[in-house]
Amino acid sequence: MRGAKRRAICLLALLLALGGWTSAQDESPYFQSAAFNVPILAGWENQSGAGIAQFHNPAARATIRSAMADGADAPAAAAADLAGWQGLSELDAPVYSGKVNLADGTWHVLAYDLDEGRSASQIARRADDRFIVISFLESDPASRTLMLAIAQADESLESPAPELDSALQQVTPLRLAELAAAGAFQQPGGDWLVYHSETARAAGSIFGNDSYIALQTGSAGEQMALGDFLALADAWQSTALGFFITPDNSLYLWLGVAVSLLMLLTLIGSFAWRARGLRKDLAMLEKLASADAD
Amino acid sequence: MTQLKSDSPLVASPQPRLLRALTMLTALGFAGCLVLGLLVAGTDIQQGQVQRIFYIHMPAFFGAFTAFGATVLGGLVYLWRGSEAWDRIALAGVEVGLAFALINLLTGAIWARPIWNTWWTWDPRLTSAAVMCLTYAAYLMLRAGIENPGRRRSLMSVYGIFAFVSVLLTLFIIRIVPDTIHPVIVGASPQNAQGSFEATSGVLLALLPSMILWLTVMPITLMWHRYRLALRQEAVDALKLKALGG
Repeated sequence: MRGAKRRAICLLALLLALGGWTSAQDESPYFQSAAFNVPILAGWENQSGAGIAQFHNPAARATIRSAMADGADAPAAAAADLAGWQGLSELDAPVYSGKVNLADGTWHVLAYDLDEGRSASQIARRADDRFIVISFLESDPASRTLMLAIAQADESLESPAPELDSALQQVTPLRLAELAAAGAFQQPGGDWLVYHSETARAAGSIFGNDSYIALQTGSAGEQMALGDFLALADAWQSTALGFFITPDNSLYLWLGVAVSLLMLLTLIGSFAWRARGLRKDLAMLEKLASADAD
Repeated sequence: MTQLKSDSPLVASPQPRLLRALTMLTALGFAGCLVLGLLVAGTDIQQGQVQRIFYIHMPAFFGAFTAFGATVLGGLVYLWRGSEAWDRIALAGVEVGLAFALINLLTGAIWARPIWNTWWTWDPRLTSAAVMCLTYAAYLMLRAGIENPGRRRSLMSVYGIFAFVSVLLTLFIIRIVPDTIHPVIVGASPQNAQGSFEATSGVLLALLPSMILWLTVMPITLMWHRYRLALRQEAVDALKLKALGG
């Protein structure tokens, strides 16, 4: 009996070890934590730690970071996360503040100009009693890059141009009409419509009912290559759209297991019940037969 | 009447050693597959823990496929040879297959609730699975309503053969009708599929033993028990008739 128990424990341990081994073989394209999952950005340095997904692009001096934060509301949590991350005692008022409704809830969209030519763009939303904050930080002194998401004013329009114009007006002294259309450029996450001038670039991509906006301003001749700029924009959009929280639905699993067991037990129980009935019938027949014989 | 005995070989024959071994294998295999599906296989990060229902949901359908397949075989051989044993196999296939098909249908509905946000939708795969269950439930009701044993066996053999169309329809409908949200596990899913996932090595480690168990050992073991029950039922019925005949 003890031997059988030991064999059963060994078998279970072997199964669990095999499970661990196969899980290690299945490389996930996601950073996974207990709180959230976010796509791993290919080609970016992975600086992620416990509960924080952080990817850095040294050439573009850009970092995309996803983390959980505490605060009174989403903007406060986002500001606290940014200040804590960058070691800032306080932040100026955001240069852009808005809201956008995505499939998983309402996100606050914020943009900050920091010191030393750095700028930060954030989206944040509530998740139970905490807040999720996804931040884009760029620290290239030659340019200022902001990433925003804006709900489409006219969903029938298949162009992000109105949102590009609105974003430009709010965070720069420019209007879209001052920039020349450079055309549409395909990126892994979608098509981006690009406008540019000597000192500014604006790119927009539509997903659902929202426009994803990337803005870059800087001195003439010091802007990064258009492909690199669009790769940054696409990385930001992929992170925002690819972010998700694994749902807690264990109760449904246990309900499914319970129903399956109940069905099987009902089937087996019906066999046993009917067999018992047959035995009773037979006993009755025997009783009748013996009474008849008497 | 005096020769009636409860230990009559027809009524209370001991379980064959092979059936006892299969019963043990089924119980241990079922427990082992539950451990694989619930503890060993990795958690699907998009769907969460509920995705583990898959390790019961899909194997249960294929278990039903085996059992209903046995009904077709039993029906064909009965019509060919007239052997009552094959009719018992056909009946056992329907009872076991219906239980498996209901497990498949109910676990599907439970899985759908958190993933599709509904317990039920009139999707082609779900509808065909429900029709399949109703078809085999009707088999049992119809069988119980026919008095003449010979007529009952012949009619139900034909019914059991044609009822299998509903099984094949359920199996292939998502490859025929593209307008379905039910994902395909082997091959590309339809465009509207919701809740699909990759069959990685972790998934296969838990799925393959479950498939083997539900496809072979479980239906065969349960059908054998049901076959023996039918045999006993017929023996007791014969004794009752004899007793009534005096």
